[in-house]
Amino acid sequence: MLSAGLILFLAALQGVTELFPVSSLGHAVVVPPLIGLNFRETSPAFVPVLAVLHLGTASALLFLYRRDWARIILGFFRAAAKGRISDPDERLAVMLIVGTIPAGIIGFLLQDPLKSLFGDPRAASAFLIVNGAILFAAEMFRRRDERRRAVGSAPVLAHEEDDPAYARIEGLSLRTTVIVGIFQAGALLPGISRSGITMAAGLVAGLRHEEAARFSFLLATPIIAAAGLLELPSLGSDAPTLGVAIGAAVLAGVVAYASARFLLRYLRLGRLDPFAYYCAALGAAGLVFIH
Amino acid sequence: MRGSRPLALVLLVLAVVFALAAIFYFTQKTSFLASGRPALHWKHAIVFTVLTLLAVIAANFARPKSIKA
Repeated sequence: MLSAGLILFLAALQGVTELFPVSSLGHAVVVPPLIGLNFRETSPAFVPVLAVLHLGTASALLFLYRRDWARIILGFFRAAAKGRISDPDERLAVMLIVGTIPAGIIGFLLQDPLKSLFGDPRAASAFLIVNGAILFAAEMFRRRDERRRAVGSAPVLAHEEDDPAYARIEGLSLRTTVIVGIFQAGALLPGISRSGITMAAGLVAGLRHEEAARFSFLLATPIIAAAGLLELPSLGSDAPTLGVAIGAAVLAGVVAYASARFLLRYLRLGRLDPFAYYCAALGAAGLVFIH
Repeated sequence: MRGSRPLALVLLVLAVVFALAAIFYFTQKTSFLASGRPALHWKHAIVFTVLTLLAVIAANFARPKSIKA
């Protein structure tokens, strides 16, 4: 059984790190031993707590994009009934389903073998360094693309948001969406960030930074919600009390909402490099200090 | 998109297989494709139910559409 204080700490940690491209699971595995907190990630209480926190985060994402989700859900039913896509909302709905299926199937098949990694902070530390490298590589790729465009015929614009070459989500092909969805399955490894790997894939696919984050958040919502809902019945004797569970879910949701708003604002001008350096530093600290 | 009758048929067959798997997992205690002791694996059942619905929807997308004049 985890203490209420520890659960609330994990809730705040989850809220910040689930949507930032820094791996919430990696943090939940690496940070407690790094700061001397004594709990085992392989304990039966850990997964139910994560499930509750996931529901909080998914609720925050649903609230943040409530208008988009209303249009997407209606678009899905229209497209499913007609058997064809005839407007952007229907296309986005189909893209999200096509992007969710690979990660859902891979996650479902590999979740049990990968759970053993939850108890290995050193493995999570190594994957955090890999996550940092992925973010850094995506930004390198984008910078090279921007330089190539600046040298060519395209005018140099003040900010990429002004550049029509960098697409909105609606401009992605279904094949690219499937590839991004397969990348999303990498987040099953503690230390690899779901939002990070999908944002990186989105950048490489030619999305603007803010659109890559929006696509990542929309794509993550069904997976995060399903992960929470499917684990809810395991809230048995190891589960936190109802009050603590609700408090933790609300805290995770509020922090996740604030984090998402901050990240979307930051990415209008900023890049993913600071998160890459942070992941590499935390991973290195984990490898050095956790034995 | 023109559509393909064979692909639509394959997807419908897949939907039937998924539906049978969902019914199997909803009703039988088993450890088939699942870890642990034989039990009702309702998570597997839900996943196969969702896959059934998606296969039916995909078949609807794949089928040739009649063109209205």
